Amino acid sequence: MKISAGLALLMAGVLVAPVGAAPALETPSASVTVQLIARGGGGRGGGGGRGRGGAGRAGGGSAGRSGFQGSGGAGGLNRGTTRPSGGWSSGGSGRVGSPSLDRPATRPGGTAGLSRPGGSGSINRNTNVNRNTNVNRNTNVNVNRNWSRSVNVNAYAVRPGWARPGWGVARPWNHGWYGGWATPSWGWWGARAAAWGVGTLATAAIINSAVDAAVAGNQTTIVVPNTDYQLLYGTVQPSGTYAVSFDVSADGAVYQLSADCQSGLLNGQEPRTAQEAELLNAACQVAYGAAS
Amino acid sequence: MPQHRPNHPVHGCCRGVLPPWPIPAGGAIIAGLTVAGLCSVLPAAAAQPVPAARVLYTLSTECRLQGEAPIPCTVEAVDQGGATLYRHRIGRSIETVRITDEPVTMAIWANDRKEWRPLRGAAARFSTNTICFNGRELCVVNPNYLNSVREDRANTRLQGRDLVMVHFGSDGRVDASCYDDACALLLK
Repeated sequence: MKISAGLALLMAGVLVAPVGAAPALETPSASVTVQLIARGGGGRGGGGGRGRGGAGRAGGGSAGRSGFQGSGGAGGLNRGTTRPSGGWSSGGSGRVGSPSLDRPATRPGGTAGLSRPGGSGSINRNTNVNRNTNVNRNTNVNVNRNWSRSVNVNAYAVRPGWARPGWGVARPWNHGWYGGWATPSWGWWGARAAAWGVGTLATAAIINSAVDAAVAGNQTTIVVPNTDYQLLYGTVQPSGTYAVSFDVSADGAVYQLSADCQSGLLNGQEPRTAQEAELLNAACQVAYGAAS
Repeated sequence: MPQHRPNHPVHGCCRGVLPPWPIPAGGAIIAGLTVAGLCSVLPAAAAQPVPAARVLYTLSTECRLQGEAPIPCTVEAVDQGGATLYRHRIGRSIETVRITDEPVTMAIWANDRKEWRPLRGAAARFSTNTICFNGRELCVVNPNYLNSVREDRANTRLQGRDLVMVHFGSDGRVDASCYDDACALLLK
């Protein structure tokens, strides 16, 4: 009896004892009662979790699953000291926008409205951006033999801090060349495009929209318009002044590629096909192109 | 509890040179004299940030004060070890915000009173890369801060979130937070 009474007092103490983390509410509509339950120590505590009887885990509850473990702290805000992938931006180049807590007029990270001259035909060609989401259809991606498989695709690589709503401003690099959208068009495009039998590449707006949609849908890839390639847009990083590196998924494998946006080279070679040109175009847009 | 450490931002000759140690309230005068002594001894050109006070980045961006028109500003983020200082240089004035972890607290340097004033709240909108302090008192476009937060909170807490707001209680700690549409409730 003495033990039971002591245990009861101990449990009562647990229920009112403060915890280290701030008991922040996920939403202000949550009740104070719920808050006190969370303070009780989590799912396996108090009530003798999972019907095991007794109060064996009543005191700690740190490994519990109350649903409140992530609600402490500052709702996601912190000191901002951790160096993000890609590093720190100095803001020295590009548009930074105006500070505002208002929801953007367009979809988060919306398109800049840029569109390379190309006539209405380009718009019609690229309306079916997602036509290749069924990977079973991709039987002939035609992976270039000089592509090497990537071995370094991890969560941080595909989800860097900048790959989020507002990614156009959030891109941390402070350098890079971009010379393709308006007049003149990509220097590497013209004659070869005629040989491939296509007149235009996907516009910046379409690529931006694809990234926006992927961010909104928590997807790590975009389908490169008019191709069977899937660009892991979060892996795009500038290298030097004109080049970018990125990963692309094709034929069920992931390849790590580089591109020279000025010279129009993919892994050091000219694009062999229109699909490779589209891939080059998309990677360069994600890296250096205008986006809000 | 809010820690009203008097390790206020140092400007002028010792800008960027901050005490590497946490300064207890009782040691404020000594610490201040020590820093002042360093300032008087070291020539400006030789002044280097002490290791514990590390400049993370300097960002050229835009700020907005009291909801007025945005103006160019620079943000210098300094890791002090126990806290991060964000110095917003706006024209000829400097607004410094100090953020600590565990618990998360935020304070702004009151130039008139020469002390840290705890913030009532803060909000971040990812899609505009904006962080605001005390309502619209000071807003700044700082993608670095938001990128860092995003990666540091790589769990599911921030997935799909755009607006994050926190409110600080009288003890300086977060007593309410919200995401997106629920923040309209917090503002009531």
